[in-house]
Amino acid sequence: MQWAAILLPDLALDAVRRSGVDPHAPIALIAGPPQRRSVQSCTATAAQAGIRSGQSLAAARALLPKLITVDYDAQRTDALRDLLVAWAYGYSGEVAVLAPDALVLEVGGSLNLFGPWSAFERRLRADLADLGVTHRIALAPLPRAACVFAHVADGFAVTGAMQAALRRVPLVQSRLPEDGLALLASMGLRRLGEIIDLPRAGLTRRCGVTFVERLDRLLGHVPDPLPLYRPPDRFEAKIEFEAELRSLEGLQFPLKRLIGDLCLFLFARDGGVDAIELAFLHDDCAPTTIVLRSPAPERDAAQWFGIARLRLERLTLPAPVAGVGLVARELPPFVPLARGLFDAGAAAALDWPQLVARLQARLGDGAVKTYLPAADHRPEAAFTTDASVSSRILTGPRPLWLLPRPIPLRDRAPHILAGPERIESGWWNGREACRDYYVLETSVGQRAWAFRPAGAIDGPWLLHGWFA
Amino acid sequence: MSGYAELHCLSPFSFLRGASTARELFARAKAQGYAALAITDECSFAGIVRAHEASRETGVPLIVGTEIRLPDGLHLVLLAESLAGYQALCGVITRGRRRADKGAYRLARADLANLSGVLALWVPQAQPSRADGAWVARNFPQCAWLAVELHRGSDDATRLHELLALADELGLPAVAAGDAHMHARSRRRLQDTLTAIRQRTTVAQAGAYLFPNGERHLRSRRALGAIYPHELLDETVRIAQRCRFSLTQLSYVYPHELVPNGQTPATWLRHLTEQGMRQRWPDGAPAAVVTQIDKELALIAELGYESYFLTVEDIVHFARSHGILCQGRGSAANSAVCFALGITEVDPARMAMLFERFISRERNEPPDIDVDFEHERREEVIQYIYAKYGRERAALTATVICYRMKSAVRDVAKALGLSTDQVDQLSRALAGWSRNESPDERLRERGFDPDSPITRRVLSLAHELLDMPRHLSQHVGGFVISEQPLSQLVPVENAAMPDRTIIQWDKDDLDTLGLLKVDCLALGMLTCLRKCLDLLKRHGRGDYTLATIPDEDPQTYAMLQCADTVGVFQIESRAQMSMLPRLKPACFYDLVIQIAIVRPGPIQGDMVHPYLRRRQGSEAYAPMAGPLRGVLDRTLGIPLFQEQVMQLAIHGADFTPGEADQLRRGMAAWKRRGGLEPFHERLLAGFEKNGYALDFAERVFEQIKGFASYGFPESHSASFALLAYASAWLKCHEPAAFAAALLNAQPLGFYAPSQIVQDLQRHGTKVHPIDVRFSDWDATLDAAQSQPILRLGLREIHGMGENAGRRIEQARALQPFRDVEDLCERAELDARERKLLADAGALQGLAGHRHRARWKVAGVERTLPLFEGNPTTESDIVLRPPTAADDVWSDYATTGQSLGPHPVSFVRSRLRAKRCKSASEASRAEHGSPIRYAGLVLMRQQPATASGVTFVTLEDETGTLNAIVWRDVARRYWRVFRESRLLAIDGVIERHDGVQHLIARSMRDYSPMLEQLDARSRDFR
Repeated sequence: MQWAAILLPDLALDAVRRSGVDPHAPIALIAGPPQRRSVQSCTATAAQAGIRSGQSLAAARALLPKLITVDYDAQRTDALRDLLVAWAYGYSGEVAVLAPDALVLEVGGSLNLFGPWSAFERRLRADLADLGVTHRIALAPLPRAACVFAHVADGFAVTGAMQAALRRVPLVQSRLPEDGLALLASMGLRRLGEIIDLPRAGLTRRCGVTFVERLDRLLGHVPDPLPLYRPPDRFEAKIEFEAELRSLEGLQFPLKRLIGDLCLFLFARDGGVDAIELAFLHDDCAPTTIVLRSPAPERDAAQWFGIARLRLERLTLPAPVAGVGLVARELPPFVPLARGLFDAGAAAALDWPQLVARLQARLGDGAVKTYLPAADHRPEAAFTTDASVSSRILTGPRPLWLLPRPIPLRDRAPHILAGPERIESGWWNGREACRDYYVLETSVGQRAWAFRPAGAIDGPWLLHGWFA
Repeated sequence: MSGYAELHCLSPFSFLRGASTARELFARAKAQGYAALAITDECSFAGIVRAHEASRETGVPLIVGTEIRLPDGLHLVLLAESLAGYQALCGVITRGRRRADKGAYRLARADLANLSGVLALWVPQAQPSRADGAWVARNFPQCAWLAVELHRGSDDATRLHELLALADELGLPAVAAGDAHMHARSRRRLQDTLTAIRQRTTVAQAGAYLFPNGERHLRSRRALGAIYPHELLDETVRIAQRCRFSLTQLSYVYPHELVPNGQTPATWLRHLTEQGMRQRWPDGAPAAVVTQIDKELALIAELGYESYFLTVEDIVHFARSHGILCQGRGSAANSAVCFALGITEVDPARMAMLFERFISRERNEPPDIDVDFEHERREEVIQYIYAKYGRERAALTATVICYRMKSAVRDVAKALGLSTDQVDQLSRALAGWSRNESPDERLRERGFDPDSPITRRVLSLAHELLDMPRHLSQHVGGFVISEQPLSQLVPVENAAMPDRTIIQWDKDDLDTLGLLKVDCLALGMLTCLRKCLDLLKRHGRGDYTLATIPDEDPQTYAMLQCADTVGVFQIESRAQMSMLPRLKPACFYDLVIQIAIVRPGPIQGDMVHPYLRRRQGSEAYAPMAGPLRGVLDRTLGIPLFQEQVMQLAIHGADFTPGEADQLRRGMAAWKRRGGLEPFHERLLAGFEKNGYALDFAERVFEQIKGFASYGFPESHSASFALLAYASAWLKCHEPAAFAAALLNAQPLGFYAPSQIVQDLQRHGTKVHPIDVRFSDWDATLDAAQSQPILRLGLREIHGMGENAGRRIEQARALQPFRDVEDLCERAELDARERKLLADAGALQGLAGHRHRARWKVAGVERTLPLFEGNPTTESDIVLRPPTAADDVWSDYATTGQSLGPHPVSFVRSRLRAKRCKSASEASRAEHGSPIRYAGLVLMRQQPATASGVTFVTLEDETGTLNAIVWRDVARRYWRVFRESRLLAIDGVIERHDGVQHLIARSMRDYSPMLEQLDARSRDFR
């Protein structure tokens, strides 16, 4: 066996760089609790200005006021790592993530295919450079040893005298558990060989079983079972037609089948999905893809088909359809709806989430929103569509119909029913309101909500809403 | 227009609710023609004395009250109708506060039963509870009202109608009230901001907590007339007329129990004083002192302060009898009675005293006795006071913590929704900023646009918030003790520290009301002196007390004249040291002057140089003739002390002693408030009458003005000079014991243990390292030889606990340690403590070098009972010994000092190759000569007073060097300056008056040289 180790020392920042920012800009990744945010890593330009990982954000800003800070995003980093593992899987059937910054692949079996190691290595490096990923690579008969060599010497390859090379590795770079290393270093020990020579019992007593176990795995004294990579589960299916279809009606049948297959697959996995991607294939141009969404994970074929049909009604296709494909990724766990034992289910009745789903399917995502109360004394700021900031406030009666903006009230002599209710608020964002609101009855008997500037006894009314 | 009295109004002492000061509220009430103003802070009288003062200034009567909210929703405003009512409310507030944590209160309906002399306003909720109203009517018969509070809500007319109907039904009279949170509508923004701060949110998200409008201010009577029927307004005035209580009715009596039966406080005080005189002057007191004491006793009796003196005497007596060193400071040292009673130590026979500086008839303000105790044992004194008088009768004074610029900016910026790091940046940028200065530069430096609306909003609100009270804290040691329960006088609440209670008034409040307090302060130097005297006694090197230390010792003064004062009380700072060789103190009074003169005030006021010239004889000083003869002679014509200014006024311009004291107080305040003009005319006229030239009088007045900001009583300086002399004598004659005591009394003084130890070594005393075989927790003396040797204590190890240190002492006392395992087992050391000992090199004697010690210690396992007595046997292994540099770094990392070579000495040859001088070479360089210097950065200090300059202290193996870095240089070498551990500076040596500085021109980071010393290998060959 021969293992190539690829270290990814700057993965989080690579992930940021790939999102299209200027790679020469001084960028720092920031992490930590809000009170103690600190630099996690930074670009070379930032490092030249003295930015270091572990520095507090304030210190970094003080050194370099124009530093661009990006919040560390574990998901973005994980996604890039997943991509790299999948990429490595293209070169070897045995790929494993050994540490968040290290992946290993068995290359002994692939050397026939990809040439001698030097050529293979060049190829790996070329790919990684294309992907924009910082890396260090080494080759060794054991995966953990390969990682250590990649750490101490990029490009190092050893096949024969691995143990001797390991003995020369500086202790602090041996990638063994940190606390044990710190302890051993404090005893004046410098290289891995000195540790190997220590009495085993004494070492175990001081550094713990886990440390010694890790050392033994590194040296190959004990088996080192690896968490081998498996490609992720996902559902993908495609139907190609013998003849092009020109009407959407004809698509219903194949769609039903694809959705049926998907839901069978979902049942088998006891899961559901909340999004499906449909691709309509054309002979002469790029496929038309649409995404169907359900508000909650769903595996009911009839539901999905209902959503699909609604969406198709609004769809115009640029060309005849030669085939249709369906992809479902990210299979979240399915949560069945609780149902009464004797609940027959009213055929025509839609419950609220289903209605929302249908409306969204017909009108498009983001077109359906809910008004919620917001805690602000200004009427124009007292509602929101963002559920996360909604909260209620105790106020007097408010009209159901609030005008988008106040307009002059054209009424000679409205009758004051109640008021003034004084509102003076909102100074903090430059849109301060200082008004005296009154409930008025107009000469034609409508109930209006109108205001004057705070403290004004007469003058024109500004109409802001209608009660009835 | 109807008359109106506001009966429900909050001051800033309803913390983060009331947005206007009492002064603003009363000025507004006066302007609006209010009949009276009630201050009704929530379960608190903390702001009531300030309100009382504002009321006196404006003539608008104050009604004392409090707002109470019960957990069941009942909301009341309680007003004190009479003294009995005030005392009842003090009791209610005390009960509510003592039951809850600091800052909170908890009351129930039962606490409000049977309050006589209290008027109650019931504030109904949005949906009024009839049952609540009925309870209020029942519980406060003939003394309850329904408060109608209208604030331009959605339908005030209907609300008014409903409340009036409810009042009618319950048989409660209705009255108008305003629930005022601010004096004027313009405070609305600040009030909203306070609300957001209190709710820990932003104003934008605080909607539910904010008031809908700015009506909760002291509204004009015309506006009120438009909202309320006039009967409701008239009722406010009727209630105000019923409230006859004023804070001036409070009478305060000091405890009587210290007086034995058959004696009065006056006779007993005289008895104790005379007893003390016999001890102080066994051969009889000088006649002048006897006269002085008679005069003092007469004034004390006239003002009725005897019990106060007896109380302080009792506390001091307790401390003495328990071997706790103590000494009075401040103006009390002007009193011969205090000296006789043993409260102070400045001998009136040895120094001129001005009793009026301490107590004066005219001042109408209680005297203030401050006593210092050993800082490690002050708690015993505090607990003695609590035990003797009980928690009902003794409590600490409060300190009002107010918003400073930094905290104001921080809280406002947070409330306006700035992100955490912006808040940090902004508050840092504006810390220490004053309105006289444009903030633009400070803001741009940190990347803020000074013209953006948000920045402007933060600045203006922060300015409004500045100086607003934020919470109550405990005073460092000011005790109020009373004959009656304190809670009849002022509410008492819990402090943050367990076992501490505080009253709701601060020092200024006490002064205003004439209450006496005694300050029990903590002083580290007293701890150090006591420990030093104990060490000397234990090692048979003399049994001294502070009083028996030989005075006027020439050797001691010779040492002081060489500025050899590391560790000496008060005269060890950089500035003091630089002045010693020139002032050349040769007697006790020189020390009194030295302590007073080398301070920022006199230095900036240019008092120092005239004094120096006259002292060195280069400028002639002609003693003054006439009535002023003798006043300034002891300071060679320079007025240095507050007492002298008072005497100038008394003898030169015929002020009475009390008036002179008012002049002194005016001086202290004129920079802030002005108000010296009346004194100016009187002084000039008086001097003229007594035959002094006009220009002389003007000069004296100018000196008084310049003197204002740093007034220093001679008595205080003299008290401190006693301790300075005692510590100097000990340093001179018993350097090892003195250094040990300094180490054992840390933290105190100017210097870190490392500098104290180095100083001792430089004086030729040997120092032994920390070693578990010999070291105690404290530093000790090995006094077998004639020249004692200092043994460092385990306390020098950072992170080591005293308990572990004591366990090691005790286990070793039973039997010496056999080996590391024996030590760890018998002293019950945990893994962290074992590691600390190994890292600090304290196991050298038991285990060998640090690497071996760490190996040994890491192998020690907690012995299981089963294996007890069967120590694991392990064969020895060979480990390479640490390098000398390694050892030094470990010393520094674990103890902040090293007895080994200085780290810089390891790179000295490389520094020399780069033409760097050492600190001792730099000290011999000529003024104005350019040099390059490199040293370890000890500290970077940016004094608030000196803008744009940073002081840097660097150290190498030959000593320390002070450098000055101006802003433009600091900016140009920003990173080097901030990051270097080993900093090289190219600059110019400047010397003024013996003070040497290196003025930096450029800087370089030599830290990599030190990193190369790190032996841990990183290369892979």
